[in-house]
Amino acid sequence: MKISKEEFLSLAGMEHETLDAWIEEEWLRPRGSSAELNFTDIDIARARLIRELQADFGVNDEGVGVILNLVDQLYGMRRTLMELRQAIRITSEQD
Amino acid sequence: MRAVKDPYEILGVATAASADDIQKAYRKLAKKLHPDLNPGNLEAEQKFKEVAGAYGLVGDTEKRRRFDNGEIDAAGAERPRQNYYRDYATSEQGHPYTDDSGFADFMDSEDTFAELLRRSARAQANRRGHDLEFRLPIEFIESIAGANRRLTLPDGSTLDVAIPPGIVEGQVLRLRGKGAAGSGKGGPGDALIEVEIKPDLSFTREGDGIYLELPVTLTEAVLGARIKVPTPTGAVTMTVPKGSNTGTTLRLRGKGAPKHAGGYGDQFVKLKVILPKEPNPELEAFVSGWESGKSYNPREEVAP
Repeated sequence: MKISKEEFLSLAGMEHETLDAWIEEEWLRPRGSSAELNFTDIDIARARLIRELQADFGVNDEGVGVILNLVDQLYGMRRTLMELRQAIRITSEQD
Repeated sequence: MRAVKDPYEILGVATAASADDIQKAYRKLAKKLHPDLNPGNLEAEQKFKEVAGAYGLVGDTEKRRRFDNGEIDAAGAERPRQNYYRDYATSEQGHPYTDDSGFADFMDSEDTFAELLRRSARAQANRRGHDLEFRLPIEFIESIAGANRRLTLPDGSTLDVAIPPGIVEGQVLRLRGKGAAGSGKGGPGDALIEVEIKPDLSFTREGDGIYLELPVTLTEAVLGARIKVPTPTGAVTMTVPKGSNTGTTLRLRGKGAPKHAGGYGDQFVKLKVILPKEPNPELEAFVSGWESGKSYNPREEVAP
């Protein structure tokens, strides 16, 4: 589902300036052009994670970037592992 | 009911702990248990919910005061939460935050494992788009006669749907290539449109047959008449035979729903004799003097 910038701000409970800063830092990478940004559900969930890192865990801005980068790598690996498991399952069913 | 644990116990602090200590305890636990940072640990999510619920209660000065005074209890303190980042981050659809650099070096080697990884990456790059599912409510008449409808999708784009004549409730139309875009050479998925037929006030359908109850006047029923009858494909003229009654069912050949094998079913018209709305002196005078009408008992076969 596509979400406009205005909808995103209200769904995520964020201010314009904060969102611009997060996009600038590449913590959020919405699709679309800068004139018309398109967000999806994953951006809302990611914004919530960032807010929790800052507000609840006391992580500072530098820390947020490091954590997001590692989290993305972790999920990339998890997804690949899941695919490999699937591929192996299919292969062994064919045997 | 499940026993509700004491929020102080969940956070591992004394009942008299300062607000500062409570926050520290919460942060320490949250860092360990946050589901997004523990994607493989299902137990962590349950514990995190408890911890977040406990902190929501005693981490708030006003709520803590009321809890300590016994005005509120810990029941319902676990706030349900819609979705975690992890619920999206491993979705097979791919997303803008995908990062394979954590094992990119593995893919460069020559062993079987690397080959598997490369294959998986290629499959990912050329994945067919997902099928998108929609529901389309249509009028009964459209379901028999067919129609062209335009669906507006959530993203504002439109989809033209040709509804074939004779479609039935729950039937799914597949529009090839009208689903979500794929990646690489994957090609788009299909749009799957489930048809929902709105109930009609006059017509019902059973198989190929269409049923209609049609009011006729006393005059038409007694003397017979040529009357206009609606069908889903337009009105037709039908002969009501002399001496028709309420319940008399007439068949209109070929005016039913299209058949699978070609051709059409029939429409069945069940007559319903309706007297004039206002009492009519002429009719009353005639019926008072009508002896054979008085001696006829239509309830003879009805058990007493």
